[in-house]
Amino acid sequence: MEFLNFLIILWAAWLVWRRPERERLAFRLLVTSCVLMALLFLLGSRGSLLPGVNL
Amino acid sequence: MSAPAEERLRTALAWVVIALIAGPIAGAVLLGVAHGDSPCILCWGQRASMVLIALVALFVLRYGPRPRYLGLVVLLGVWGQYMALRHSALHLARDIGQGFAASILGAHTYIWAWFIHVTVLAVIGVLLLFVREMPVAGTVRETRRLDRFAFLFFLVVVAANALQAFASTGPPPFVGQGDPVRLSLDPRHWVWSLEEYQPYPISWRGSWAVPQPDPAAVEADPARGPLQNLPRLAVAGWERVAAPLQGTLSGLARDSATGRWLAVTDRFGVYLLDSGLSRVLHRVVVDRGFSVQLTPFAGAAFVGGDTLAVVSTNKSWVLLRPDSAADAGREWRRFRETDGAVTELGRGRFATVRARQQYVLSLAYDPAAREYVTVSVPSPRHRRLVVSRFARGDRMLSSEFLPRLSGGLTLAGEERSLAEYVVTGATVADGRLYAVSAAYSTLLVVDLASRAVSAAYAVPGIRRPVGVAVRGPRLLIAQADGRIAVLERPAP
Repeated sequence: MEFLNFLIILWAAWLVWRRPERERLAFRLLVTSCVLMALLFLLGSRGSLLPGVNL
Repeated sequence: MSAPAEERLRTALAWVVIALIAGPIAGAVLLGVAHGDSPCILCWGQRASMVLIALVALFVLRYGPRPRYLGLVVLLGVWGQYMALRHSALHLARDIGQGFAASILGAHTYIWAWFIHVTVLAVIGVLLLFVREMPVAGTVRETRRLDRFAFLFFLVVVAANALQAFASTGPPPFVGQGDPVRLSLDPRHWVWSLEEYQPYPISWRGSWAVPQPDPAAVEADPARGPLQNLPRLAVAGWERVAAPLQGTLSGLARDSATGRWLAVTDRFGVYLLDSGLSRVLHRVVVDRGFSVQLTPFAGAAFVGGDTLAVVSTNKSWVLLRPDSAADAGREWRRFRETDGAVTELGRGRFATVRARQQYVLSLAYDPAAREYVTVSVPSPRHRRLVVSRFARGDRMLSSEFLPRLSGGLTLAGEERSLAEYVVTGATVADGRLYAVSAAYSTLLVVDLASRAVSAAYAVPGIRRPVGVAVRGPRLLIAQADGRIAVLERPAP
């Protein structure tokens, strides 16, 4: 899934540079990538969402 | 905003992108190619966050500083710090040199991720601080040579990251691993994993979600305990703590040399009592705040001479000494109340290994070994009965063990274990640890030399025991209500 996320990021960056009129799509890809990144982190840390130390 | 000012802002942003990509993002790929360093699933999240911050900066280069871009980059900075803290917490408290994976300039990648996300927020703050008015947003900016280089550099480095991600984690639905293997460009070495999808409970605190023990809520019937066919110890008589105490009795110890008693309460009261349990010789109420955290006191012990040791349920300890020359002004910061004749020698924390993340409800002192002894109580998260011993001199861990069974003792079933006992009082005499359990009203006798439970006795009739003491041939079990059961001390 990390590979997919980098592809999404590449697509968004390409649009911003070469197809700037597609800003709306590029921003949606950016947000999608942020959400995917957050979900993947939560997938790896869901057993203890807060740091495992004395809070 | 004037055109030159906007140009300067865009130039600064382009360099921010280049620096971010050239530093941590490209550096991470180079580490992988040169040294085989491979990110774990949490590292991937942090790396992706840094890439996304650079991407947002490219949006600003192209379209100007729209509010949603600024909002998103601040969110990424905050989320990145959360990720770095969550990840670092797995390793920060370990021993010297025991970090995880590669370190760069003396710090591991999860620490660098925290530093970079903090820096990003700081840079945003500085840039905004020096912008007198915001550039007009909404129009597409032409790319300059520096901007084009930033875009191209970004695409090349992120493509390299994508290739590394493909080799290291695989195509969807595979995801990063908790413990990744060395990066290789040889497909025969690639390990693609779905381990992280395995179902397990979602939790805020994980193994740190340990409730304070509640001895009042345990099953008291010895017949339901994990040990079978235990001999009974009958209560021969009752005594009582007649001295007035503030709070509920939570621990009691006896000094065999003087016959005096040491009582502690759940309201942080410490009382030195006479041998008749009727007169308070000294008393303090310890201030639990503003220093080492103290949860309710759970055990007490005489530590030779006049030193009094008290332990909290969280294994924090306080050492006290009766002192007729105590300076009340100096001790004010340590005590909520005092009779003016007690000095605090120090306070700290017992650090355990096997009993980590477990509370204790007892404290004993072994004068022969000059060691403190605690016994952990089980929780839904951690079901272990661990005897921990700490050197008197430095209060560091000397040894720990999970006692085995001897003396013909057998468990009532394969699923039963000694960890079902909730030891709420303990004392050491003649090389044996006498530990009374509120659960199943049982007295465990642990031979400290062989590290085995050599005997166990059902003690029907006791209710919420909080301490145990030896007085010659007698064994005394104190209850939270202040009553003390007197029993014949079983022969070794």
